[in-house]
Amino acid sequence: MMAGRAGKIGFLINPVAGMGGAVGLKGTDGLAEEARARGAKPQAAERARTCLSKLARESKSLLFFTASGEMGERALHECDLHYEGVYEASEESSSIDTKAACQAFLEKGADLILFCGGDGTARDVASKTDQVPILGIPAGVKMHSGVFAVSPEAAAELTLGFVRGELKVRDTEIVDVDEDLYRSGVLQTRLYAVAKTPYLPVLVQDRKRIYSSSSEEEFKDQIALFAGEFMRDGSAYIIGAGTTTGRIAEHLGVEKTLLGVDVVQNGLLILKDAAEKDLLDLLDRVKSAKIIISPIGAQGFILGRGSQQISAAVIRRVGTENLIIVSTPHKLAELSYLLVDTGDPEIDRSLSGKRQVVTGYRIAQRKDVFAASMPPGS
Amino acid sequence: MKIKYLLDEEEIPKKWYNVAADMPTPLDAPLHPGTLKPLTAEDMEMIFPKALIRQEMSTDRWIDIPEEVRDIYRLWRPTPLFRAAALEKALKTPAKIYYKYEGVSPAGSHKPNTAVPQAYYNMKEGMERLATETGAGQWGSALSLATCLFDMKCTVYMVRSSFDSKPYRKSAMRVWGAECLASPSDRTNYGRQVLAKMPDTPGSLGIAISEAVEDAASHDNTNYALGSVLNHVLLHQTVEGLELKKQFKMTDDYPDIMFGCCGGGSNFPGMVFPFIPDKMKDKKDLRMVACEPSACPSLTKGLYAYDFGDTAGMAPVIKMYTLGHDFIPPGIHAGGLRYHGDAPLLCNLVHDGLIEAVALQQNEVFEAATLFARTEGIIPAPEAAHAIKPAIEEARRCSKTGEEKIIFISLTGHGHFDLAAYDAYNDGKLIDYEYPADLVKQSLAKLPQV
Repeated sequence: MMAGRAGKIGFLINPVAGMGGAVGLKGTDGLAEEARARGAKPQAAERARTCLSKLARESKSLLFFTASGEMGERALHECDLHYEGVYEASEESSSIDTKAACQAFLEKGADLILFCGGDGTARDVASKTDQVPILGIPAGVKMHSGVFAVSPEAAAELTLGFVRGELKVRDTEIVDVDEDLYRSGVLQTRLYAVAKTPYLPVLVQDRKRIYSSSSEEEFKDQIALFAGEFMRDGSAYIIGAGTTTGRIAEHLGVEKTLLGVDVVQNGLLILKDAAEKDLLDLLDRVKSAKIIISPIGAQGFILGRGSQQISAAVIRRVGTENLIIVSTPHKLAELSYLLVDTGDPEIDRSLSGKRQVVTGYRIAQRKDVFAASMPPGS
Repeated sequence: MKIKYLLDEEEIPKKWYNVAADMPTPLDAPLHPGTLKPLTAEDMEMIFPKALIRQEMSTDRWIDIPEEVRDIYRLWRPTPLFRAAALEKALKTPAKIYYKYEGVSPAGSHKPNTAVPQAYYNMKEGMERLATETGAGQWGSALSLATCLFDMKCTVYMVRSSFDSKPYRKSAMRVWGAECLASPSDRTNYGRQVLAKMPDTPGSLGIAISEAVEDAASHDNTNYALGSVLNHVLLHQTVEGLELKKQFKMTDDYPDIMFGCCGGGSNFPGMVFPFIPDKMKDKKDLRMVACEPSACPSLTKGLYAYDFGDTAGMAPVIKMYTLGHDFIPPGIHAGGLRYHGDAPLLCNLVHDGLIEAVALQQNEVFEAATLFARTEGIIPAPEAAHAIKPAIEEARRCSKTGEEKIIFISLTGHGHFDLAAYDAYNDGKLIDYEYPADLVKQSLAKLPQV
C-alpha cells in the first residue's frame, strides 16, 4: 500500500556500465567502443530489468520519469511500468546525458533517482543533487560508493520501502577510482560528493533486539558532542573528509570542507582544505596533533582512499597512537572490517589489528583494521 | 572425586557479616543530593524502612538474620559448591576450580538473598508496595517473588533494552503478581522527560533507579528497594560467602583467587567480604577479583569520586568509582552490569588495594560461558560468565606454570532467559564495546571550572 506518497521516481540506465570489467578494462568510462571491440556485451539493462520486474510485481502505482531508449524507456516499457519520457538521449549516451536526464527528473519533482550503473554513473547523478535521495542498481565495474543496493532485487525492496515512507534517508559518500591510474596498476580513489540515499536502519546490537536504535543522525550528534569535549586539550586536530567528521566541525561552529581535510585547534579553524604539504608544514609548528577520520565509502577505508592528504608521512609525524577513528554504529555494522592503504607498508602494519572506534558519546567499539594489501583470508 | 559440597539447612547463617566493621579506611558518608550535606536517617525514611536504614549505617560486625527470612532462605539455601572437574579436565590444568551456584533460587539468581529481607522489613513497618528498577530482570524477578511471599505489591521499572529482549522475565514477574514497566516509562515525570528527549533510548539502570525513587517518594504506601550498591544489600548477600567458608572447610582447600561479576555490586561483595578478615590477618595472598564489562568499566576506568547514584540526581551522592551519572552504557547483553558506578563498600576496598578488578569484552565472555556450559552443563547468565573468563585464563596459566592453585568462581545465576544473547554470539553478531577511557579523561581534564 502506498502511504500517501506519489512514488515519483527518476530512472536511468547507463547502458554501457559494467562492460569494461568483463574484458579487463577496469571501468568503462570513455571506453565503451573498446569494450565492445573486445567482445563485451551490455549487461546493465538486464540488471535493471531484474529490479524493475520486481517493482512491477509489487506495485503498479509508481510513476517513473525516464530518458529515451536504452537509457530507461525500453526497460520500463518491457516491464509494463507507468512512465513518462522527459529526456531524449543521444544515440551513444554519455555522462552528459546522465546529468541532463537527472536535471529533467528534478524539474519534474522526482522523490528519488534510481539509476543502474557504477561509480562513474553515481558521480554524474550525485553532481546534480545533494538533496533528492539517489539509489544505485549495481551494474558497474567499480562500486565503492555508498549508494548501491547489494543486488537489483534489494534495490527494488529499498525503492518500495522508500516510497512507502518506511525507510530513513542518510548521507553517504560518492567515491570513484581514477581509471587511468587504475589501468596502470595504481588504485587511487577520490571522494567526489556526498549524496542522500535511502537505507534500512540496522539495529545497533543485533537484529534480535526488538527496540529500534537511535537514528544515525543522533549518533553523529553524540560523536560530535564527545569530540567537542576531548578536543579541548590544545592539540591541532586534523579532520578528515566525511559527514560524521563534518558534524564534529558543525558542532564546533567551524565551516568544514566536506570533501577535504581541515585542521582545528582550540575550537578555531586554522587550516582549510589542506594539502599534504600544508599539513607537514603545520606539524613543524604545533606541539601536539591528532587525526580524526571516519570510514569512507562502501569498503570501509579509513586511510588512503578519500583523504590522501593524510599521507603516510603525516601519520608518521602525528603518531599512529594519535589517530582517532569515528563512525556511527550503523555504518560500522555494515562493515566487516576497516581498511588502510597509506602506501607505506610499515604504517599500514602498525595500524592493523583491533582498534577503538568512537561510536557515540563516551562509547566505542573494537573493530578489526587490515592493510588493504593483506585483507582477511589473503 | 567429590563434585558437590552441600550444607544442611540448619547451617544457613544466623547472622550477616558487616564488612564496615573491619575496613582499614572508614566509609565516606553519603550526601544528600539537594544539600550535598551528609545524609541523615530522616532523609532516608522517605523511601526506606527504619530497620534497613539502621543496617545501612551500622558498623556492627554481625547482624541477626530474622527467623522469618531464614525460613524463606530454606527454599534454596544453602546453595551448592561444585568442583568443576570437567572444566579442569578440558583445560588440562593442575589447578582446582570450584564454583558456588546461586542459580538454584526460585528466581534463578542470587538476588532473592536481599530481596527477601528487604520485603520482610518493609512489610513489618506496614508498607504495602515496593518500587524498584531492574537491569537484566534478575533483581525485578527476585523482588517480585519476595513481595509475593509477604503479600505485598511490587512495581518494577525494567531497563527498556532488557524489557524488549527478555520477554519471559516480565512473564515471571507477572506470575509473582508484580507490574513490570519498560523504563523510561510514561508513569513518572522523569521517565516522560527522558522519553521526550530520547524516544528510542535503550534506557539504563540510572534512569530506571530515578523512576523507581520518584515513584516511592511520591506515594505514602510505597517504599523503594535497590538490588545492588547499598550497604544493606551487600550485607544481606554475605549469606553466600559465609556458607562458602564452611563449604571450603569441607574440601580441605582454601581459595587462592576468587572471581565474581560486578555491576553495581551485590553477589561479588557478598561472596568475598567474609574472606576480607582472613586476607587482612593471615591469608594475605588471597586475591579477590571483580569482573566487569569493558563497555561499562567503572572499577577499572572510573574516577574515585562523589557522584549521584542515579541519572536524574535524586538518589544520594556517594563516593564510588564512577563513569559519571549521565553515562548511558551501550546495550550489552549482560544488562545487570550496566551501572555507571559501584557499591561504596566495594569501591573503598578496591581503593585500599584489598580487592582487584578486571574488564572483559562480550565475545570472550560468551566464548568462556560456552566452554563452561559444554563441560559443567550449566548455561551461565551473561553477567555470571564475566567471572568464568578470567578464571579460565588463570587455570590456563597454571597449566603452563604447573601451579596447583585453588580458583573460585561465583556463579550468580543461569542464563535461561538469555538464550537470545547466546544466539547472537553464535551468529557472530555480538559487538565488542569499549569505553574510550583516554578520550574521556582528556575531555574531563579541561572541563570549564564552575
